[in-house]
Amino acid sequence: MRHLRAAFARIAGFFTGHHADDDLRDELQAHLEMETAENIRRGLQPEEARRRAALASGGLTQAAEAVRAQRGLPWLESVAADIRYALRALRHSPAFTAVVVITLALGIGANTAIFSVVRGVLLKSLPHRDGDRLMYLRQSADGPGQANISFSVPEVRDLREGAKSLAGIAEYSPFSFTLQGEKQAVRIDVGLVTGNYFEVMGLSPALGRLTRPSDDGPGVPPVMVLTHDYWMRRFGGDSSIVGKQLRVEDRSVTVIGVLQPAPFFPDRIDALLNMVVSPHHVSAMMVQNRSHRMTEVVARLAAGATVEQARTEVAAVHARMQSEFRGVYNADSHYRVEVIPFKEALGERARMTLWLLMGAAAFVMIISAANVVNLTLMRGVRRGHELVVRAALGAGVARLRRLLLVENLVLTLMGAVVGVIIAIGGVRLLVSLAARYSPRANEIQLDATVLAFALALSVTLAMLLSFVASLPKEGSIASLISAGVLRVSGSLRKQRLQRALVVAQIAVSVVLLAGAGLLTRTMIHLSEVNTGLRTEEVLAMEVPLLQLGGSPGTGTDLAAWFKNLLASDAVAKQSYERMQRELQALPGVTEVGVGSTIPLRGSSMRLEVKAENKPPAVGTAAPRADFRSANPEYFRAAGIPLRRGRDFTATDRQGSGKVVIINQMLADTFFPGEDPIGKRIAWTGEILKFSPISGDWRTIVGVVGNTQDGGQDAKPRPVMFMPFAQELAMAAVLVIRTDSNASALAAVATRVVRRVAPTAPIENVLTIKQVKDQSVAPRRLNAALISLFGALAVIIAAVGIAGVLAFSVSARTNEIGIRMSLGADGGRVQRMILKEGGVLLAVGLVLGVAGAFFAAGVIRGLLFGVAPHDPMTLIGVAATMGVIGIGACWIPAVRAAHIDPAITMRS
Amino acid sequence: MAGKLDVKQGTLALMILRTLDVLGPLHGYGVARRIEETSKNRLTLNYGTLYPALLKLEQEGFITAEWRQSENNRRAKYYALTAAGRKQLAREAREWHQTADLIAAFLAPRRETP
Repeated sequence: MRHLRAAFARIAGFFTGHHADDDLRDELQAHLEMETAENIRRGLQPEEARRRAALASGGLTQAAEAVRAQRGLPWLESVAADIRYALRALRHSPAFTAVVVITLALGIGANTAIFSVVRGVLLKSLPHRDGDRLMYLRQSADGPGQANISFSVPEVRDLREGAKSLAGIAEYSPFSFTLQGEKQAVRIDVGLVTGNYFEVMGLSPALGRLTRPSDDGPGVPPVMVLTHDYWMRRFGGDSSIVGKQLRVEDRSVTVIGVLQPAPFFPDRIDALLNMVVSPHHVSAMMVQNRSHRMTEVVARLAAGATVEQARTEVAAVHARMQSEFRGVYNADSHYRVEVIPFKEALGERARMTLWLLMGAAAFVMIISAANVVNLTLMRGVRRGHELVVRAALGAGVARLRRLLLVENLVLTLMGAVVGVIIAIGGVRLLVSLAARYSPRANEIQLDATVLAFALALSVTLAMLLSFVASLPKEGSIASLISAGVLRVSGSLRKQRLQRALVVAQIAVSVVLLAGAGLLTRTMIHLSEVNTGLRTEEVLAMEVPLLQLGGSPGTGTDLAAWFKNLLASDAVAKQSYERMQRELQALPGVTEVGVGSTIPLRGSSMRLEVKAENKPPAVGTAAPRADFRSANPEYFRAAGIPLRRGRDFTATDRQGSGKVVIINQMLADTFFPGEDPIGKRIAWTGEILKFSPISGDWRTIVGVVGNTQDGGQDAKPRPVMFMPFAQELAMAAVLVIRTDSNASALAAVATRVVRRVAPTAPIENVLTIKQVKDQSVAPRRLNAALISLFGALAVIIAAVGIAGVLAFSVSARTNEIGIRMSLGADGGRVQRMILKEGGVLLAVGLVLGVAGAFFAAGVIRGLLFGVAPHDPMTLIGVAATMGVIGIGACWIPAVRAAHIDPAITMRS
Repeated sequence: MAGKLDVKQGTLALMILRTLDVLGPLHGYGVARRIEETSKNRLTLNYGTLYPALLKLEQEGFITAEWRQSENNRRAKYYALTAAGRKQLAREAREWHQTADLIAAFLAPRRETP
């Protein structure tokens, strides 16, 4: 109580000090006068009486100081004084302050921005309950497109029975559905899930309820849970949506709830539905066939179980399956299952890029910290005199250290504030980058943790700066004063430190530049890759008309459902023909084609193929090809060159002989050195049993050139084109070729299509140029960011080397003056200084190139068309850094050459 | 200066409280004189010792301060004991006596029998 009261009184005293000072002066004065009067009363002369009284007081100023110390918070007061002093000192050297603050702001800004992304995407714990125990299971096999083949229902059943370390195993089947809106339909990405899905995922509803095991099976009403993101985006967060009916794939579905915000893997989705929505998912073939794989699997570790146990068990179960069903698991394809923590799976695509960026940002931080240390050291030497005077006046080493610390904190915190402002802008840019790599991009934010990170960076740096500065030691003050510190140019040790820092800056800059160079060359190589298309003035748009869900009355009667489907397919094809005709009539349009897939985009259907009289090679995975369809005009419209044979014609229709056009890649796979025209080829594999695709032999009538469907950096995929008229129009794309600017046509073309199909979803209205750009955009951003960091590093390093040399020149003014008066001319002095800088530069370059040589291996996976140790890049980078470095040395060298010996000798 | 003592930390507060208890409200000069006289001038108090101690007691709520006219028509700041101060004085005096007795017992000239 008593201490609390005293503390309050002191805090109050801290704020009301000025008034109390007057009061105290009066009180002390009164005391002095009373004592003087008493002395006079005792018989002393007034003069003597006053002198004795003053003597007894022990000094009014000291007394006032002692009382003041008792009154307020002396520590805080002196810190406040230190801060005021620091601000004044920094205001007096604006150039120094500006350079340090900007340098630090760049370093701290880059690191804070990248760290906030790393934290949001990779480090932050998942919003799922016990998210660390959530696992993602991935089945893969050898061969193209087999990196994630998902699971079949029987496989999931075996895992459920065999792997007891997994407490819950839930199924999740990503799909694309048509949602009928009030005016037009839209395509939505959905997940068809088992009733235990949300329990396993550890997710709760934000509104309403989620699906549960009673929503499983064929005979239940279809229900739908909206993701938080989609609910906000499409329904504006309207809570009355719960309980409403929506039309999905021509069926009525009840919205039962809204999910809490959560990331999805592999892709962002809009809604989750129970399996009954898709007749196919509850059909016997889906449920019973082992090779019919459409399901992603998530699982939760059982209490007490470890990831290792789960891996061992899952591997054992999988091995049993493989030995039991040899027909399903071709031994040569090496089927396997991985158990991956869900958090890692979410960060999978982003990890490499983000750590690379974090590393680059850390390098920028190192360089800027080195620069600031250097600048502080130089300033410290100039301030040596001031510090010695302070020490002589009674400031202890601890007190001086604190003064420096406060000053450095003021500096670094100013840098941090500007840095955070830079980071706020940077994060906005980075979120769009991260969205390409991670479903968690919307979790990125500059929150308290990230700000604490920036604060920790700047405080650490301030402490570092305060301790590299050497202070006059107690006891050595006298010798320092007599030495006349004005001429001291810093100890040898300190100069070595400065030089080492400059070398490090150059080396690190070279490493960053090398990374930037390699990624930029990758970009150039990618843009030079021939897409395989003849022209880029092509507009494409997806207009899916065919819906897979039957009417609710048909239930799971598959025969009826299929008949329905064929009827609506015929109607859809008539619509496409009308669209084609009307688009063709537009001015500027030279050709309109219809096909299943946008050119330069991969088909989602990739099936096993076989050729007649070509037995599959033993010991290799079965060859696969992309399933695509095209009408007679498609190839001409898209600009895909016909290499051999003929185009499709109007006579290749339903009921006529089955024909195909294959691409060069597929031709090379089956018919190397032969003419494939007239040969027969067919789809094969278990999956044909559950699809409307027939395994009949088809005659090859043409060969077209390869196109970069998997992206500019991927090997062309083998493709087999069917006549659009001979297959179900499961997906449909209009390809419009123009004689001028394709993007200008987008609006009018959309209007034409809308007239023919007023309610159909129209999606991905893109020019081929945009499709191509989208495939390289992440790499371009990578290259741009690393180049930005590289440029920052080089600028900071150049300032660093110029600064150190300039300082060296100013410290050696006297010596240079002597040299010149002894006969050295300006040129010789200039060479001397250039040599001094050149040595640092050379050492830095050698170390940097060596460092780049090692570091380049790390980014091997991000390169294309250029080796990690590409000598051209390394030489180019070293040359660039060398030229900039010499440029930076030139200024101080020229200044040294213009020193007037007469003036220096006299001063 | 031989024979003069510095005021021990903690004892000064006790002396001030006791002085105010005996003499009633008093200014700083009066407190200093009284302490010096009581110590038969073996103690001297400079302002730098006395006034921080007074301020501390005031902050702790044991004394209050107020500007008044002195007996010879001079304005002076008078300090007076509060109820809390009186309690504190009793407590400290008791503790001091106990400590003094203890130390006295220790320092008594008595030879241990072998």
